[in-house]
Amino acid sequence: MVARWIESLTGALEQKKEYRRDKARLDALPEPYRSAAAAMHRYLNYCGGIVDGETLIAMIGDLADLWERAAADGTPLREIVGADPVEFAEAFAQAYEGQHWIDKERARLTEAIDRAEREEGK
Amino acid sequence: MRKQMTEMLKGTLEGIVLAVLSGRSAYGYEITARLREQGFSDLVEGTVYALLVRVEQRGFVDVEKIPSEKGPPRKVYSLNAQGREQLDEFWHSWTFLAERIEQLRLTQTEGDK
Repeated sequence: MVARWIESLTGALEQKKEYRRDKARLDALPEPYRSAAAAMHRYLNYCGGIVDGETLIAMIGDLADLWERAAADGTPLREIVGADPVEFAEAFAQAYEGQHWIDKERARLTEAIDRAEREEGK
Repeated sequence: MRKQMTEMLKGTLEGIVLAVLSGRSAYGYEITARLREQGFSDLVEGTVYALLVRVEQRGFVDVEKIPSEKGPPRKVYSLNAQGREQLDEFWHSWTFLAERIEQLRLTQTEGDK
């Protein structure tokens, strides 16, 4: 489902290929890294709130880099995600300054306050 | 104590990492290891990695991929001109904050007497 959704977002064939390649890198990880990476990927798709394809692709590529490195070094899971995996995933998602669905609402709020301020000045 | 430390670190970790990189280029694990040695014992690799992703996205570092004996190539981060500017700004803000907070503490200690 996610794959189809991303296709409609990205359009560009090259991006699709890159996304699939990075997704395959996540799927090829040894356990327990594969499960951890899959869970993080799901969370980021669900809650990252990113709407542009390019950002999404950069994110999954970085995610694959992180977990492949961890697997190669045999770094314990907790050394990567810390005590609170949610906090870690959110800090990770925040690193990307791509377009978020919330941006539209943020712009709307800013504009509404600006408008109200102009009324105040009258 | 731990919670407060985490919150304070959130606002300063970017500056800390840029400062570590101002000495010499490093890859993610080296940065984490150095900071842990210096007493940031709760700091995990993932947090530093997320931060490196952020400073890379914002254009403060240059990234070079160096092949490693096992696993994928290592990403080596080095501070660029824009990063140096950001670091200067960080030190400026830090000095301001530290001075004001210290002033508050002194005033409070005076009051306690």
